[in-house]
Amino acid sequence: MNWKNMAAIMAAIYGIMAMLPFFLGKTNFVMHILIMCLIWAVVASCWDLIMGFAGIFSFGQVAFFVIGAYASAIVSNTYHVSPAGAILLAGGFTAAVGILVGLPCLRLKGAYVALVTFAVHMTLEPLLKGDFGRAIGTGGSRGIMAIAPLKLFGVTFSSADPVPFFYLTLIFFIICTLIILFVIKSYWGTAFVALKDSENLAASLGISAFKYKLTVFALTSFITGLAGGFYCHYVGMLSHRLLGVDLFVTLMVMLAIGGIGHYPGAIIGAFITVTLNELLAPLGTYRPLIIGILIILLVLLFPDGIIGLVQKVFTSKADKATKPVY
Amino acid sequence: MLKLKNVTKKFGELIAVNNLSFQVEKGRIFGIAGPNGAGKSTVYNLITGMYSCLGRIEFEGHDITGAPPHKIARLGISRTFQIPHIFPSMSVEQSIGVGNRFGAGGRYEPGYVNNIISILNLETVRHQGAGELNLLGKKKLMMGAALATRPKILLLDEPMAGSNTTEIMALMELIRKINKDMGISIIIIEHFMKVLTELTDTLLIIEAGTEICCGDPEKVTSNPIVIETYLGEAYAQSNQS
Ligand SMILES: Nc1ncnc2c1ncn2[C@@H]1O[C@H](COP(=O)(O)OP(=O)(O)OP(=O)(O)O)[C@@H](O)[C@H]1O
Ligand SMILES: [Mg+2]
Repeated sequence: MNWKNMAAIMAAIYGIMAMLPFFLGKTNFVMHILIMCLIWAVVASCWDLIMGFAGIFSFGQVAFFVIGAYASAIVSNTYHVSPAGAILLAGGFTAAVGILVGLPCLRLKGAYVALVTFAVHMTLEPLLKGDFGRAIGTGGSRGIMAIAPLKLFGVTFSSADPVPFFYLTLIFFIICTLIILFVIKSYWGTAFVALKDSENLAASLGISAFKYKLTVFALTSFITGLAGGFYCHYVGMLSHRLLGVDLFVTLMVMLAIGGIGHYPGAIIGAFITVTLNELLAPLGTYRPLIIGILIILLVLLFPDGIIGLVQKVFTSKADKATKPVY
Repeated sequence: MLKLKNVTKKFGELIAVNNLSFQVEKGRIFGIAGPNGAGKSTVYNLITGMYSCLGRIEFEGHDITGAPPHKIARLGISRTFQIPHIFPSMSVEQSIGVGNRFGAGGRYEPGYVNNIISILNLETVRHQGAGELNLLGKKKLMMGAALATRPKILLLDEPMAGSNTTEIMALMELIRKINKDMGISIIIIEHFMKVLTELTDTLLIIEAGTEICCGDPEKVTSNPIVIETYLGEAYAQSNQS
């Protein structure tokens, strides 16, 4: 998709989101859903950047989110760093972990990268629950309670009054999604796509796989770590249950709905998925079943997600106009 | 400008390149030929840093042995691949732009990219997806992207394979142009002997990774050992008559 269309879609999303509290601001439950939409949209966008554009099958996205969340909670609870500072530190820490995970992945291809990154996800849960976790302040299997709310310029952004926190998250969301847009549309994005398409050709034309792949690991895990930090100070508690299959699959659904590699589709996919998840909550155990069926239908009918579908509709119109008639 | 000294490459038991030494002078066209599996493409992979090797490779006096491929590309060594490598998600113009942005020039110059597109006659397909091109188109695109890096030396791996006589003539003209007008030294791997004798200043014949003969193309192609191991009697006779 070109610059202009991407920017137009994103501007529309920002505008609509900024307006919503005027209509829905009184219902805390709805504001909570909107905040979750924004946070997950950032995480899904990062995943789309590394998987959809850079072609690296990193399955560590939820792990990075949880690492960021725990890091921020621990730094602020145990070491009494202000939550804002803790979130930044958590981002930096997660980026460092991302680079460490990225290093072995440089030598691996496709499915093996998925294995290594998912192994990180798998080892995280026992690590957080066990003695090591308790020693560094994860609270073991009980998790962390009473995480301090975010305070900035003397204002406390608590979940009890979600509208201010919503706008703060919106700013965070706008900055992160714009960074991702610029990366995709800059020469960095070109390098990612070139490496994804043909690593040998890309290297023979002067692109360093090492530099760009590590950068995408660092950048996406940094932003995901920040999102995790945001999340923990908003929700106020953390548990290793975040690492369950549920969240992982939900994140995949966001990408599937939005269309992998069809940024900003991931943002729209996240909004739809989070909202749908909440709306279907009353169905209890039937919810995963319905979501499962939806995924299958979606992947079969619209393999490129919503954005792919829209593009198809528009390009086929344009094609019809330009193709000669015999 | 490019020098290989006692270069050896083993793949397990197989010695793909065996103690090979040669030198390419600036501004020249250097040919490499030999039977299938002789190690020709492997030589390119060694020069461009795709594989590690024993021995020493020098470019303009610098030791480039063991340097990673992207660094070698930025020093001004560019190549094409025997099997077309392209960027399927990019258009022709974008693919050439990648070479321009990341290669030895290091920045994107639309004028230069346009120039390359017109030299290669790719104007009509410039906005087409790279994957939609035919074999010749893909090979030309690879050459274009390689040229866009502003190389000092260009390594071509069987650029004529799969082309008809008219296309071969056009490609020869193109290669001369790249050499003379753009001042780029060239190494070319090719099976068509006539192309090599007409085009190159020096010809190297290898077999089983070992040098058989190297020197003036006319002399090399009349060398009895070359005829025996590579060209065959039929070639020698057809040339005499
Ligand atoms: N990556 C590799 N791993 C193992 N063996 C290899 C590898 N690359 C090449 N070889 C082997 O090295 C030998 C030389 O191969 P190379 O591709 O250089 O031959 P060539 O002269 O280019 O042949 P052709 O004319 O068919 O292109 C062959 O026996 C090939 O099987
Ligand atoms: Mg070959």
